[in-house]
Amino acid sequence: MAGPSFDDLEVGDELPEFKPDVSMERIRLFVGPSGMAAGRFTDHEAARKEGLPGAIVPGILSAGILAGLIHRWAPGSRIRQIDTVFRAPVLVDSHPLCRSVVTDKDESDRTVEVDLTITNEQGETRVMGTARVEL
Amino acid sequence: MDLEALKAEWVGLDFDEKKFDLSAEQLRVFAVSCGEEEPRFIDPNDPDFQAAPTFVTTLRSARVLPSGFPNLGRPFDAGKKVILHAPIRGGDQLIGRSRISDIYSKTGRGGPMIFVVHEMEFRNQRDELVAVVDSRQINQPEAK
Repeated sequence: MAGPSFDDLEVGDELPEFKPDVSMERIRLFVGPSGMAAGRFTDHEAARKEGLPGAIVPGILSAGILAGLIHRWAPGSRIRQIDTVFRAPVLVDSHPLCRSVVTDKDESDRTVEVDLTITNEQGETRVMGTARVEL
Repeated sequence: MDLEALKAEWVGLDFDEKKFDLSAEQLRVFAVSCGEEEPRFIDPNDPDFQAAPTFVTTLRSARVLPSGFPNLGRPFDAGKKVILHAPIRGGDQLIGRSRISDIYSKTGRGGPMIFVVHEMEFRNQRDELVAVVDSRQINQPEAK
């Protein structure tokens, strides 16, 4: 699938929304090789014993999901930098929504800057970030 | 807490070095977990097969803070910045070198917070810089 053309993009353009898979099955696939197999990520009951509302998605997985959002929008693009802020936990087995918008264009190196967010079902921002992407 | 004294003593200090042998399978599983769909990230047989951009955040140093660093309170992972310089491939052998790159304070709803930035620089077996990861750790002195 062809991605967006740098010349056609404008500041304010929104990327297609994406509903990531944060099921327990997906989290368990992630945590093994990442060495993060703690109960707070893989077991709702264990997470509640730590005072959390349920198992939480590792922050670094949220960052990876946002990078994936960019590649779905612009296949073949190259992410030069991505900066994510973990404001509040994303819960495992919830239904978050990823959104992004173009905030800057740099003609000199044909890169765009995008703002990124992951919100929960209540519309509360849980993870936010920015990325510099070469198209 | 004398922030300036803390910075003078610790910022810029290299405190850890760790080697990572990367398998194609490791890279593939990470990319699939993140929902990547492009063959360059999920198919080890793709001629351009490489790690998804934030894969390096899974490579952790032996120490998060230098030996002897003061206890600033309960730590939280506040976020990560990844700067990518070159593709990371299956079979690469990376060296990750850690230093404290910044210490600063902010006041939030929960009171004063001290941020410690752990910078980890990754070079491959050809000594090429492939990525730099800044991990921001929040410490809340008054948190119980």
